[in-house]
Amino acid sequence: MAPSSATSPAGNRSGAQLSNTKTTVEFRAALVAMAIVALIPLGVSNPYWLGVLIVSMYFAILAGAWNLLAGYTGQFSLAPATFAMIGAYTTGLLNHYFGVPPLLGIVAAVVVSGLVGLLLGRAVLRLVGPYLALTTLSFAEIMRLVASNSIDITRGDLGLGVAGLLDSRVGWYYLFLGALVALLVLFYMLLRSKAGLFLQAIRDDEVAARRAGVNVVFWKTAAFAISAAASGFAGALYAHFAELVTPELGLIGQTGLIVSMTVIGGMGTLAGPLVAAFLVYVLSEWLRDVGGYQLVVFAALVVIFARFFREGLWGLARAAVQRWGRA
Amino acid sequence: MSGIDVDLAVNGLITGLFYALMAIGLSLIFGILKIVNFAHGEFYMVGAYAYTLIALALGVPVWIALPLAFVVGALLGWLTERTLMRPLYAGYTSWGLMRDEYAVIVTFGLSLFLINLVDKVVGPYAYRGPPLVETSRVVLGPVLISGHRLLAAGIAIAVIAVTAALIKWSFWGQQIRAVSQNRLGASLAGIDTAKASVIVFMLSGGLAAFAGALLSPVINASPDVGIFPAIKSYIIVVLGGMGSVPGAIIASLFLGVIESFGAVYISFQYRDAFGLILLMLFLLFRPQGLFGEKGREV
Repeated sequence: MAPSSATSPAGNRSGAQLSNTKTTVEFRAALVAMAIVALIPLGVSNPYWLGVLIVSMYFAILAGAWNLLAGYTGQFSLAPATFAMIGAYTTGLLNHYFGVPPLLGIVAAVVVSGLVGLLLGRAVLRLVGPYLALTTLSFAEIMRLVASNSIDITRGDLGLGVAGLLDSRVGWYYLFLGALVALLVLFYMLLRSKAGLFLQAIRDDEVAARRAGVNVVFWKTAAFAISAAASGFAGALYAHFAELVTPELGLIGQTGLIVSMTVIGGMGTLAGPLVAAFLVYVLSEWLRDVGGYQLVVFAALVVIFARFFREGLWGLARAAVQRWGRA
Repeated sequence: MSGIDVDLAVNGLITGLFYALMAIGLSLIFGILKIVNFAHGEFYMVGAYAYTLIALALGVPVWIALPLAFVVGALLGWLTERTLMRPLYAGYTSWGLMRDEYAVIVTFGLSLFLINLVDKVVGPYAYRGPPLVETSRVVLGPVLISGHRLLAAGIAIAVIAVTAALIKWSFWGQQIRAVSQNRLGASLAGIDTAKASVIVFMLSGGLAAFAGALLSPVINASPDVGIFPAIKSYIIVVLGGMGSVPGAIIASLFLGVIESFGAVYISFQYRDAFGLILLMLFLLFRPQGLFGEKGREV
């Protein structure tokens, strides 16, 4: 009767030592993947494909941030794209109305989206499962409605033009990559510290974690705020890359993509969602050219992975390596 | 109450009836599996397409196409339950940990899948279903309604009444209520809980598809047409108390009237936001809804 997942998800969670080893392996794998990504512009100079990879990195940051919240802490928010939108509008509005330089705007975006995340995280503290998903979903929709209806301020669905930051596409490429690697390192350090254990303890059994002395209120709210700040950071970078901010950044379909990448890559693994973000987005651009079935394929993959391969591509890869190691 | 207020109230109540068709099924699913089906709006969308395509492409009379849309929705509900919902209860003990997350991911994924599948197979263009009657408008005192809307509202009342009666008094209805009150207790009393959840999913899918079919002459069905009705039914189910059928019906009518008045007297642009704000407030401060029971765990 057991599902055909190759390894038990609970198997590696016992003890700080094991958890750290697991996280370190994942971190190294992610660094290798990022090193490969760093070499790509040496061979590819087509601005279209560089653009595709830049957007992949935008999604990789969002997937990583959402994974910290949903995969590691068990708080299944449906608002990751909304925080990217909030970050994008923060720097966009500051730049459009007050001429605030992009770099300062990006810092403000991180602070504002982090604060909104803090408030939302505090408000939904006691909600679990479907209740949490519905509350965050309605938060996401309200924010998007506000952004697209406040036409006097945001120019609504037309979008707000904002200043660019860099002229060269390769420059943007490495800026996004730098941001992604910085967040990867940050998340790794966070997860390897006691905080990582606290978060995963809360995910596995909140009551037991509280009994063991984990400050559940603090860590759940902190995870929300950190995840929101990272998403806002990605959104703000994207705003200056695209030089346009629209409410479309917060569409529920965008959240759908982020969830797909994380589930396909493997929830609660450091490397999986990052790598899957590239695979999913690049593959979807390629599938767009050959018939446009990309979203059908990815949605089907999400359902199949959630149903049969709960640890995602990362879990499949690890199982394959283990089998190969034994043979 | 002036004439326009009567008109707003009646039209709001009629909108509420269609919401109720959607919300009853969602509420039953929550009652029996304690999950929210994020693909519920896509049953509605599939119903609208099934009705329109069966009637227009195959030339089947509308009065046959309408029940066929229900059947299509019920089949989709059955398929969903058999392929994706089983792990939620069929002895997958190691799944307890991520049960809620699994339900959200898998129904959310199913929703994306169905939207994009219809988008690719049928096309992204909006389809308009044939109306049940051609009368363009009926004037009842201060109230102006199209003939189709009036007739559809009558059918909706009948279907809601039959469904509510079945849930309340029929053999299977009583079993479903028993399972949603206490799953373990019901199974100890010899109730086939798996069968109960199959029935609930078929009924839920059928009712949502039926709502889509009834509204297809008005809504111009496109692949993403189900998103807003689904969000409305989440709001309703929370307002009415998750799992409560009478609560869902009353909350549907309530939301229909609130939106109808709010759009005129408060803000037309934000008409879709009223319900969302209510939803957040309820989830944060009164998660058991207006009529739901406060959760009890053993």
